[in-house]
Amino acid sequence: MTAPASSVLDAVVSTLADAGVTHVLGVPDNTSGLLFHALAAAARPRVIIVTREGEAFAMASGLWLGGAAPLVLIQNTGLLESGDALRGTAARMGVPLPIVVTGRGYPKMERHGIDRSTPRTRDLLVRADVDSVALLTEPTLDAWAVPWSMCRPGDDVCEAIRHAVSAAYEQERPVALVLTAPLA
Amino acid sequence: MLTRAELLEPLVRHRTDQVMVTTMSVTRPWGRLSDSDLDFGSADSAMGHTADLALGIALARPERTVVCLNGDGSMLMTLGTLATAVSTGATNFVLFVVENGSYEITGHQPIPGAGRVDFAALARAAGFPRVFRFDDARAYAAAVPDILTTPGPTFVHVLVERGSEGPISRTEAEEARYLRSSLADWSRTMRRALTA
Repeated sequence: MTAPASSVLDAVVSTLADAGVTHVLGVPDNTSGLLFHALAAAARPRVIIVTREGEAFAMASGLWLGGAAPLVLIQNTGLLESGDALRGTAARMGVPLPIVVTGRGYPKMERHGIDRSTPRTRDLLVRADVDSVALLTEPTLDAWAVPWSMCRPGDDVCEAIRHAVSAAYEQERPVALVLTAPLA
Repeated sequence: MLTRAELLEPLVRHRTDQVMVTTMSVTRPWGRLSDSDLDFGSADSAMGHTADLALGIALARPERTVVCLNGDGSMLMTLGTLATAVSTGATNFVLFVVENGSYEITGHQPIPGAGRVDFAALARAAGFPRVFRFDDARAYAAAVPDILTTPGPTFVHVLVERGSEGPISRTEAEEARYLRSSLADWSRTMRRALTA
């Protein structure tokens, strides 16, 4: 399938290649889908779509063992699925692994004035007008001891990716970038 | 049905520069027979994620065969990796499922579908072009050189007798060298060996 033309997508693909990323592994969502198309059309990095997000962390750790420089690209729902895979492979092995997490549910959270300081009560978690995955993304990354940063609408996506890649290699551990900025 | 020794000794005999990735009940037995920087024991790691980790190594090092000795219970946890392995076209990937029908490490509780799940059939359905099934030690030993050298991806389903391996640690008390350091330290040892 041909990737739609987008200067942002092209810039992101170039940023990943220039940062030395050899493989991008993950499961597409509505935000990253166009980026997966753009990556598939590019010479590098190689894109590998997996069956479940936990698989991406184990495969990425194996790629790093073999000398490659992988990056995981998943939605925040898939991040929550990946707990033991992330902990038991990339984190336990000390793999310098940048993780780009597309953030589902953030616009609803922000519309309702909910932020990190808002208690995650039972009543909040069951509200139909709030997406619970956004409520749990940042607390989960904190609980799993994964350093993370945010890239919001208006931020420079390429600079944020470069920073996440550098941080992962400097710290020799998985480092996440939660992306709520659009990619196209 | 094969004994653990009948499973592992032909692999030791015919191995040259292949990467070996083990998990669960074959981790210690393999470490008693082999002492190589190209051995990786997926212990103190992520349960069920050995095959996908080994597949990653195979994709990074296409010039080298990567053999994964996975368990039957472990394979059931990540069946999707069968499809991923085929779709990536990793011709240097050899995935064993060592079937003993139980979670041996935790005391032989039966795995779901024990004795009914046909792992070789699952691999064929996922698209593996080379699939073997062995319950006879002599036939298996004769096939090992071909398994290790012919391009795949290759899937090898082996029926083995139950053993008595207990929980695995990563401490100095372990006999196998690849279990005597942390996962992070051993990962760097192996990465150096693979990228030298």
